[in-house]
Amino acid sequence: MTAPPETTVRPGAEGSVESPAPGRWRRSRVHLGPYLVPAAVVCALLCVYPLVQMGRMAFSDVGPANLIGEWTFSGTENIREVLGSDGFWEATRATGVFTAVLLVVDLTIGYVAAQALARRGRLSSIVLSLMVFVWALPPLVSGSVWKFLLAGDGAINAVLQLVGIGRVDWLSDPSLALWAVSGVAAWASLPFAILIIRGGLLSIPTEVLEAASIDGAGPIRRAVSVVLPLLRPTLMVLVILIVLYAFRSFDFVYVMTSGGPGTVTTTLPFLAYREAFTTYSFGTGGAIASLSMLAVVVLAIPYVLGVRKEEGQ
Amino acid sequence: MLRPRAQAAGAAAIGMLVLSACGDGSDTGSGSADGQQTLTVWTYYTAGGQNDALEQQNALWAESHPDVTIETVQIPFEQLPSKLLATATTQDGPDVVLDNVVVDFPTLASSGVLADLTGYWDGYADKDLFPDSAVWSYEDKVYNVMSYTNLLGLYYNADMLEEAGIEPPETMEEFQAALEQLAPDNEGSVLAESGAPTVEGAWMFMPHLLGQGKDYCTMTEADLTTNLQTVQGWSQDGVIPRETATWDQADAWQAFMSGDYPFGINGNWNLADARGADFTIGTTRFPAGPEGSHVFPGGEAIGIGAFAEDKDLAWQYVEEAWMSQEASLINFEASGQIPTRSDLADDETITSDELVQPFVEAASETGAWPLNQETAAMQTAVGEAHSAVISGQSEPADAARTAIEAVTAAREDGGGSC
Repeated sequence: MTAPPETTVRPGAEGSVESPAPGRWRRSRVHLGPYLVPAAVVCALLCVYPLVQMGRMAFSDVGPANLIGEWTFSGTENIREVLGSDGFWEATRATGVFTAVLLVVDLTIGYVAAQALARRGRLSSIVLSLMVFVWALPPLVSGSVWKFLLAGDGAINAVLQLVGIGRVDWLSDPSLALWAVSGVAAWASLPFAILIIRGGLLSIPTEVLEAASIDGAGPIRRAVSVVLPLLRPTLMVLVILIVLYAFRSFDFVYVMTSGGPGTVTTTLPFLAYREAFTTYSFGTGGAIASLSMLAVVVLAIPYVLGVRKEEGQ
Repeated sequence: MLRPRAQAAGAAAIGMLVLSACGDGSDTGSGSADGQQTLTVWTYYTAGGQNDALEQQNALWAESHPDVTIETVQIPFEQLPSKLLATATTQDGPDVVLDNVVVDFPTLASSGVLADLTGYWDGYADKDLFPDSAVWSYEDKVYNVMSYTNLLGLYYNADMLEEAGIEPPETMEEFQAALEQLAPDNEGSVLAESGAPTVEGAWMFMPHLLGQGKDYCTMTEADLTTNLQTVQGWSQDGVIPRETATWDQADAWQAFMSGDYPFGINGNWNLADARGADFTIGTTRFPAGPEGSHVFPGGEAIGIGAFAEDKDLAWQYVEEAWMSQEASLINFEASGQIPTRSDLADDETITSDELVQPFVEAASETGAWPLNQETAAMQTAVGEAHSAVISGQSEPADAARTAIEAVTAAREDGGGSC
């Protein structure tokens, strides 16, 4: 089997034929610098500042009475309180399940669907357009629609009863609710996964696949030994983005179950929201959010290192 | 999903909500070049009757103030307090706000986002017509006033009860017997009530304990366990559907109005809607326990935003469009919300309305809310236990233990008072 030249398979790298001379890079940076200022200011105001405030909150005693004024430094008290509560670990587990469902659904169904849609044609275009529509739907809208569909007297139960299967309490059965909400979130994120994987598939040179066929590889062998290894950088990026998405699993939970029944669907971001804005424990809310952010940073490190490695090559 | 912002927002909801708080369209009332002024009013009303009442009360105000435009901003129930708290940072908020006083008052009053109404209230000619419970003070300053109150009661489908030969129940024993009788023919749809793991679910559940002489500060783990066992029995015996565990009050009301449920526990703000039902609706008080029938007083209170530019104008609006006799009657007729003014207690408009009478009676025998900074946490803990038991996530004893621990801890965190 012929090994592909590595520079041709990285998505988005097709156009980077030659590197500019060092002198040109320096000039470009000097010229581009001022143009970065607005973006840097917006980023500092809308991303960095709230994150710094959140971090401060995690180590402060903040309640409604001193929300405007000075925050008393409380050391690691909030962190210790959060780590010592059963609710945090239950929410961590729920977030883990949520993440796992998204990864499995998006990667497996996403890969199969991307393969099917990789062939150009009118049907593919229609399906892709529909997927973009689903992806663009605000979670509050799609979540509300799914809440009605999954209700006891909703359309899905009506169909199940028509075919002789009894009614299922999708959102109120403690053993099903988290899976149902995760499934809906996976449904909403699937179009993005398909589009990304499809982009990766289309960037694989047909010559490579043809060479594999000439070498006697069947469809499965081609997928396992050629396509998946070449898709690895794309899939790695996708995995990281799915994990990031799962760790902000707030909207569908908020709309569909309010964290219930009981606390079954209370994920980390929902728990942080509830602590901060329902019971007004801003300090513990900030601590939960900071710990979530830390987990995301830890998970994102392989992604950043991977990207740097790819760039180095 | 996975839009570019996801990479930063993966941190969690806090950052996201801090951002959202910065752009909520909370322009405060102000004048304009042509002399037209605007008053911004924040509410979380969703019931049709409440919105109709608000519209008519605003029209009443507009008659005498054609130069002032009322801009109503609808904010989701759970988001209103957080958006109001965010005005502390933006220094820009509503002129008038209708807040969920029984849960959020200690938080809002202490955070400085509500204006001190003491001067206005002291100078209000009709202030003696309002009961003490309608005036909400924090550190001897008035921040909220209530022009109406809302209470829970038992709605029933009179057609279904008549067919089954059941009289409207007055005590918990009669209620239990009626539920048991109706359950076989109405599997899973006898009683429509909220069991969401929130303060709403707690509000629906706590009258069980109030009827036994217990409240947030006196209930024991055993008390809570016993009452959660009752609810568990309802869930297991097909009295309430399991999805009650995620229903808020609006969901419960929609279920009752479908005509499939003989009973529904809900508030008097739905009375206007109830009059349009396809079946005959009756109301009675929440079934009484050994210590009588008691519910917590509810309803929204009116406050003026701390950053309102023209507080005098805002107070004028509060007086004329909410506290006045005429406005209170408009509100009652459009929504069923019970005026707190004592000079309307014997008004024929109210006394001749049979459906509202149980709620009016309940208003004189209400339970006492815990006036504690952490009251929201206390109520949420009970709401979660209630939801967990209905769904089957927890056994009553386990849920009660967790809830009592959380309630006790919250009460101590809030200063220990009740």
